[in-house]
Amino acid sequence: MMHPDRTLRLLASLLAIIALNGCTTASVQDVRQSGTGIKAGEAVVIMAKSYHLGNETEAKYIRCVEDSLARGTKGLRVIPSAEFVDLLFPWFEPRTAPAETKNLAKLMNRPGVAEKIAEQKIRYIIWLAGDTEKVAGGGSLSCAAGPGGGGCFGFAWWQKDADYDASVWDLEGLESAGTVSTDVSGKSFMPALVIPLPFIARTQAKACHTLADQLHSFIVDEETA
Amino acid sequence: MTKGRSDIGIAQPTNATGRVYLNTLKSIPLMLLLAGLAGGCASSVTMVPPTIPPPLTDKIPISVGLRIPANFNHFVHEESVFGREEWSIDLGDSNAALFKQLFGHMFDRVSIVGANDDPKLMNIDALVEPTIDAFEFSTPGQSKTQAFAVWIRYRLKIYDREGNLVSNWPVSAYGKSQTTAMNKSDALQRAAVLAMRDAAALMIMKLDEATGIGKLGDVATPLPDTISGDEVQSSALEGQQDDAS
Repeated sequence: MMHPDRTLRLLASLLAIIALNGCTTASVQDVRQSGTGIKAGEAVVIMAKSYHLGNETEAKYIRCVEDSLARGTKGLRVIPSAEFVDLLFPWFEPRTAPAETKNLAKLMNRPGVAEKIAEQKIRYIIWLAGDTEKVAGGGSLSCAAGPGGGGCFGFAWWQKDADYDASVWDLEGLESAGTVSTDVSGKSFMPALVIPLPFIARTQAKACHTLADQLHSFIVDEETA
Repeated sequence: MTKGRSDIGIAQPTNATGRVYLNTLKSIPLMLLLAGLAGGCASSVTMVPPTIPPPLTDKIPISVGLRIPANFNHFVHEESVFGREEWSIDLGDSNAALFKQLFGHMFDRVSIVGANDDPKLMNIDALVEPTIDAFEFSTPGQSKTQAFAVWIRYRLKIYDREGNLVSNWPVSAYGKSQTTAMNKSDALQRAAVLAMRDAAALMIMKLDEATGIGKLGDVATPLPDTISGDEVQSSALEGQQDDAS
């Protein structure tokens, strides 16, 4: 039997955790162009589309999707993008990376490329595009400090949108397997009455986990287009 | 010097000199704060030389001499935006490391040619002299984004074995890296490394095509005509535009 004080403290902590999260709404969808599936030992690589093409996907987001896809007993074998780019230098640098699947055949014919990909058993390259940005905000919050102490008063809010697309390229068939997209909107609040209380929406983290879960199903489920 | 440090450390207000030292000691944090407020924020980044992986390409079968300018071994760039942060990036010997690694991967044989060495006396097919035309970067505050961007423009002058200038090729490279909440200097350093890798990728792909350096090893065929820098520069730029399209 749990001590009543401990139960009360646990409940308070749970309430605090719930209360300190802002509101997020998420949607996810996929479009399948060909059949997928992955054999034991085969790997995937998560890459950001080139900044030469104006893409702004954050390195932190790439790492989050890599970690989420690899996590758990049913996790996929994920080769870190930095390792992959070094292995195939200079063909996946922002300037040289193929922009369309139709360039894959030419790339595979370059010396050593097909061999390196076969050596590492890389089955899919997933190209991420998109970013998280603040789209709105308002309110007013001011803080002051004096000899007798300090404090903050007011209310501030802001909204962030995280829109990401993942294009899945199948290196076995040298074709596009399809795309998975997620769109997450998160609103954060910060009321302050002496002490500011932040209610932060973890918009980017939500977009990461939503996309990674959907990508996992998209790749693992042996569905045909 | 040692005496001065000792005096400050054991300052006692027992005489006039001691009081002066104690007052000086007390005012140091205030002076530092005022200096910080007056001077704005200054950030300094020291770069670790980049690692250029071996490329998946065939080597150009010639022997080249590489003459590295003095500033490639110690290159410091400072950027000051009025009323904002001051940035200083110390590339150290990153440029020298880039060209030594890259050319080692690209050519059959590379010899480092000193400033006073006569390349005609060395058994080389071509001499390459890289220089930096421009180095620029933008901070998130300037670009209104969350990223640092670095632009580097190198220039490669290529001479044949007789010492004639056969090519004068500008290489424009770009790198961009998102900032993290905690460490801005890492993002700037990463952007500089990406710009250097971008230059390396461009040279691997286009150097032979844009400059004809591969032909300089073939003694049986006539050497490319010696042409003016402007002519080669414009043809190389056209090549880059073709590549981009």
